[in-house]
Amino acid sequence: MDVLLHLLGGLATIATPVNLAVMVIGLVLGMLVAVLPGLTLVMGVVLALPFTYKMGVAPALILLTAMYVSGTYAGAITAILFRIPGEPMDVPLLWDGYAMTRRGEAAKALGWSLAAALIGGLASAVVMVLLAEPVAHAALKFSSPEFFSIVFFGLASVVALSGGSVVNALISLCLGLFLATVGVDSIYGAERFAFGVPFLLDGIEFLLVMVGAYGIGEVLTRLNTGFKSEAAADAGSPSRFKTALPRLAEILSVKYTLLRGTLTGIIVGIVPGAGATVSAFVAYGLESQYGKNGKELGKGAPEGIVVAKSAATASVGGALVPLLAMGIPGSGATAIILAAFLLHGIQPGPQVFVSSPDLVYTVFASVFVGVVGMCILGYFAIKPLCKVLDAPEAVVSAFVVLFCFVGAFAARNSLSDLYVIAAFGVIGFLFEKFKFPIAPLVLGTILGPLAESNFMTAMVSNDNDWTVFFTRPISGAILGVALLGLFYPIVRAALRHLRLRGRRSEPAHS
Amino acid sequence: MLERLRAVLPHSLMLLVAIGLYLAAMRIDTASAAVGGRIGPDFWPKVVIVFMGLLCVYEIVKRLVLHSSFTARGLTEGLTHNPAEPSEISDGVPVEAEPEREYPALLWSGAALIVGYVLVVPWLGFFLTTALFLAVFIRLGGFRRPLVTLAVSVIGAFALVVIFMRVAYISLPLGAGPFHDLSTALLALIGVR
Repeated sequence: MDVLLHLLGGLATIATPVNLAVMVIGLVLGMLVAVLPGLTLVMGVVLALPFTYKMGVAPALILLTAMYVSGTYAGAITAILFRIPGEPMDVPLLWDGYAMTRRGEAAKALGWSLAAALIGGLASAVVMVLLAEPVAHAALKFSSPEFFSIVFFGLASVVALSGGSVVNALISLCLGLFLATVGVDSIYGAERFAFGVPFLLDGIEFLLVMVGAYGIGEVLTRLNTGFKSEAAADAGSPSRFKTALPRLAEILSVKYTLLRGTLTGIIVGIVPGAGATVSAFVAYGLESQYGKNGKELGKGAPEGIVVAKSAATASVGGALVPLLAMGIPGSGATAIILAAFLLHGIQPGPQVFVSSPDLVYTVFASVFVGVVGMCILGYFAIKPLCKVLDAPEAVVSAFVVLFCFVGAFAARNSLSDLYVIAAFGVIGFLFEKFKFPIAPLVLGTILGPLAESNFMTAMVSNDNDWTVFFTRPISGAILGVALLGLFYPIVRAALRHLRLRGRRSEPAHS
Repeated sequence: MLERLRAVLPHSLMLLVAIGLYLAAMRIDTASAAVGGRIGPDFWPKVVIVFMGLLCVYEIVKRLVLHSSFTARGLTEGLTHNPAEPSEISDGVPVEAEPEREYPALLWSGAALIVGYVLVVPWLGFFLTTALFLAVFIRLGGFRRPLVTLAVSVIGAFALVVIFMRVAYISLPLGAGPFHDLSTALLALIGVR
């Protein structure tokens, strides 16, 4: 009952004219960044962050949450109509959605996508509300070893879930963890790695790492591969801009697909570092193997759209659970929502449910309203969204750079920060070029201080006995799962390598 | 051999960075922790740096000494292909995508422009530097309509001044000397004092 009352309170907060306007702006911006060439959802939310500096905390959270929710949807439209995925999470929609468009079923494909996003998004929002508070209550009993293990689990999962080399992901993570140590140490007050440079004494803000590596780094990468100056897509006939919603009977015929997609999205979303893209691909992979119509996936089957879209949208609710209940972001976009909390002096985690439940439930309510608003906008605003594809990439990228600079400068009014984000832009570009993932670097910088402080507290209060992390049951179990997740890809690759070598040496012996 | 050396270049650089950082970590003042025999403020960064260095050494030895192609990849590897199309994984090893064509001149010019913006903005102020940056960057990016470029640059820079300084109340660099006066006049025009 309390939960329902709090949620109504959250809805009432959104219902004020200013907050409602902020919600609509957030939804529109989220859709634009998901569609604009040269912009990604995470970059878009990063660029919106500076606008929240002078806002109250509630509208700031409403804006970013609305962007996060709607940013998971709009890319579906361009993927289905023009074979242009707005975000990596929309790639599965190319396989089935665009195939349906080529068969003349574009409106139907858009309808399936909209229905899946609505059902997946609302279902995950309900689970998020039901799950977050019990998790936060359980986390209240945790001590520093458990918190260290949870942070370690988050860091390990972002490495284990990376698509490329695990070693490179670990190096990227180590660099992020190192960057978080620059400045004055919070426990002893010792100066670390400042090298006599005054602004380094204040530490390197993770916001600068994030804006530089994601924003400037991405622009440099696009410069290196050449901009597309022409319109990205031909708008085509107006009949393509219609959405034909599936009938109830049709929705019921794919109920198990919807259920699998939504559950996968929620579960994968909860895992720190996974997010909407991983959710969509994992759900799609599961559906192709275990779905009734799995063999038809990739050839224009509605199930492919339903499972991928429901999973991507459901991941939003899932990713907000660890953020709000434990202060650990579940995805790139939630890392920025964490930044918004921190910029307003609020540390998400179990305590926030006690100290600021109104804010937590404002975020929850924003997801509910955001999902519905996103679907209404998605239904009516297809044509203008598609026109956005005409924006030349060079113009968009120029503005991205400027937004990055203003965002970095506005945080501390320091010109030195501009040099820092330019430097991280170069690092982000080099990482991309040499196939080092950026997500572990950013997550390492964000979670580094939390990992270090909990590690140090646990060690100091247990006479430097490191076994405490393994002997306490919850901490030991979480660390065990994290280590398993880290070593599994290595063991899997080693076995595959040995099998290959064996196969190659067989002909030589025979 | 040259190919292998190129492949370990990033790891070699990271190893050098790790060595330099470890030497810097040795200079961290640990006196406050030494009293109770506790681990000091240097412990955590040293663990991180040593681990980073060891990972770099592993990659260098693997590629240069063992000539091994063994690479452990994350759990999402191989998920991103259409099940209806032939697999991107051949013999258990993911097939590398064709490298995209690169434009180093464009990259260097763009990077110089970004660094130039940072260097010039304290002198010219936000409005002027932004207008110049937009014009040059858009032209550099291959957009060939000078009038549109000019309009986007001037109107865009002005719009950003209004959005950031009038709406979001962010204090941005005003520039020096006559450029400061220009920025102040512009701000007065939009009602910011």
